[in-house]
Amino acid sequence: MSTTTTPGTGKQRKLVQMAWDPVTRIVGNLGIYTKIDFNNREVVECKSTSSIFRGYSVFLRGKDPRDAHFITSRICGICGDNHATCSVYAQNMAYGIKMPPLAEWIYNLGEAAEYMFDHAIFQDNLVFVDFCEKMVAETNPSLLAKAERTPAPNSAIHGKRTIADIMRAFNPFTGDFYREALEMSRLTREMFCLMEGRHTHPSTLYPGGTGTVATPQVFTDYLARLIKFVDFAKKLVPLNDDIFNFFYEAIPGYEMVGDRRILLGCWGSFQNPDVVDYRYENMTEWGRAMYVTPGVVVDGKLVTTSLVDINLGIRILLGSSYYEDWASQEMFVTKDPLGNPVDKRHPWNQTTIPKPQKRELEGGNYSWVMSPRWFDKRTNDHLALDTGGGPLARMWATALAGLVNTPFVRATGKSVIIHLPKTASFGEMDLEWKIPQRANTLERDRARAYFIAYSAAMALYFIDKALERVHSGDVKVFQEFEVPDDAIGCGFHEAVRGVLSHHLVIRDRKIANYHPYPPTPWNASPRDHYGTPGPYEDAVQGMPLFEENGQDNFKGIDIMRTVRSFDPCLPCGVHMYVGDGRVIEQRHAPMFGLGGHDEAEG
Amino acid sequence: MKRKDKKTKVVSNVVVGKPDVEPSTPSHVRGVFEGNHPHVGQRHKGIKEVSEDRAEGTARRSTGIRPKDHDVIDPRMPKISPA
Repeated sequence: MSTTTTPGTGKQRKLVQMAWDPVTRIVGNLGIYTKIDFNNREVVECKSTSSIFRGYSVFLRGKDPRDAHFITSRICGICGDNHATCSVYAQNMAYGIKMPPLAEWIYNLGEAAEYMFDHAIFQDNLVFVDFCEKMVAETNPSLLAKAERTPAPNSAIHGKRTIADIMRAFNPFTGDFYREALEMSRLTREMFCLMEGRHTHPSTLYPGGTGTVATPQVFTDYLARLIKFVDFAKKLVPLNDDIFNFFYEAIPGYEMVGDRRILLGCWGSFQNPDVVDYRYENMTEWGRAMYVTPGVVVDGKLVTTSLVDINLGIRILLGSSYYEDWASQEMFVTKDPLGNPVDKRHPWNQTTIPKPQKRELEGGNYSWVMSPRWFDKRTNDHLALDTGGGPLARMWATALAGLVNTPFVRATGKSVIIHLPKTASFGEMDLEWKIPQRANTLERDRARAYFIAYSAAMALYFIDKALERVHSGDVKVFQEFEVPDDAIGCGFHEAVRGVLSHHLVIRDRKIANYHPYPPTPWNASPRDHYGTPGPYEDAVQGMPLFEENGQDNFKGIDIMRTVRSFDPCLPCGVHMYVGDGRVIEQRHAPMFGLGGHDEAEG
Repeated sequence: MKRKDKKTKVVSNVVVGKPDVEPSTPSHVRGVFEGNHPHVGQRHKGIKEVSEDRAEGTARRSTGIRPKDHDVIDPRMPKISPA
């Protein structure tokens, strides 16, 4: 416990240090260190740290670029396929490939299944534990009493009479909605495997296309499962609306929990095969043709939808991370293919030099995560963009851009309308996601439910387009190519929890530089050298607390809801540690005796 | 097996050893056919590229035993991949 004086006021505040390290129900080692003023029920300071280093950008150097998607897929055990897909996009650009349309539809269907799988399991089986009856009874008993008396507005759709009934349905292992969501995760995983071969590390994706044989049956098997999932999604969205609206009504001021300035980034998803040719020169056009529009949203306004602008604005800063600066290292790309200058702090020019050290939360370095920022050339600011857990930024950018117009999903400029056809339990249903007033915890969670419906609706469209080609007799799913001696490439995609970019430099047919930038480095970044805190820190800092428990049995539920609303996934946050004396066994598989390895060690 | 003494160097404040293998070792073995090579399509019997973004198949891609007997009976019918 410490006592500090608030600058300018001379007022003494009693601050209690509270830490959650590691945060559970997320992937990886995330630590949240806070200073809380219990008298005023406010979080005064927050720092987020990660204690793992992975080193993908270090050990990819020198490898055959055609292996990159298989290797980078292993960055994550949750969204590995997003990495594989993004790496294929980057390689397509480097090799000069335009993939066949049928292959693009297969990629889109696989990725849509991944969004449905991952968002649904995270939302219903992990996030909702923070909103379940057992948790609310422990943290806010009076809120639960109110929930018992409050009827659920959409009970005719989801069958739960009161808000407390919804909360009971979320109880882990016993709640019926919790169990139904688990069953759904099996369906969506099967859909994924039909398209990409294996979950989560796809076996049928590679630059140039896919190995999936495009038979009518593979698509109808997918469709049969998708229709069942659409039935589930129709129930899921109104249920989410009921619970989040109840929190707003029952706890005045809850909109300030996890609230931060609207600084959202979305790198776009679902390629349109009619437009995409993977040429950098045309990247703005094919980026805008994507079925999730890329964009940067600052203070509620759309700054750009151009992937070239997005690419050139990326800066990787240090300031509180365990790395040595690469200012004196080699520049790999000075100009992009359009002749625009590329910054030294751009991923194409980054050199990762790890420097392990002691964690110093007060004025020193405290994380393995770097600080990616987006340079806003209008104001010369390095913006700490967040992804809003993925869906919030995607829906926001797509809604404002108003470019997506398909029979199932339509962006209007201020909302996104999702049309779901008739299914077993429900008739046709239109869901409309409207741009919210704030980027806060509840809106990040709400957008996730809507994006599940969005992905399901887009998958219906992709199935139609793919079957159209199959029925016309098209079987082409792969384009041959040659690996050039020297090339550069970049891939932009959306990992489940937000922006994903892969930057690749090939020299002498080998990888000279490779930098994957997934969502969590953006969200979990520590303070950069300008002192700008990362999004988790920013969202938690200054946040009011509504938990009814005092300091002694404080659970930090509001803080945990906020951090989890970003869908943290630390394995991709940092890009090997072997303890002293550990023996590594290494073996080589003999390949026609030509592998050139004469030593095996154990 | 005893590890060989290897030269080490210091990168930043990390002691790193000499790699046991070249980083590019598993990528390609000379003499092995590479699946991405141009004209690779010609090796696949029964698939014919008709334009840049389209290819059509015949029953020959599924069987070598009297494949013509399994082709479409009317040339206007689509040649759908076997399920």
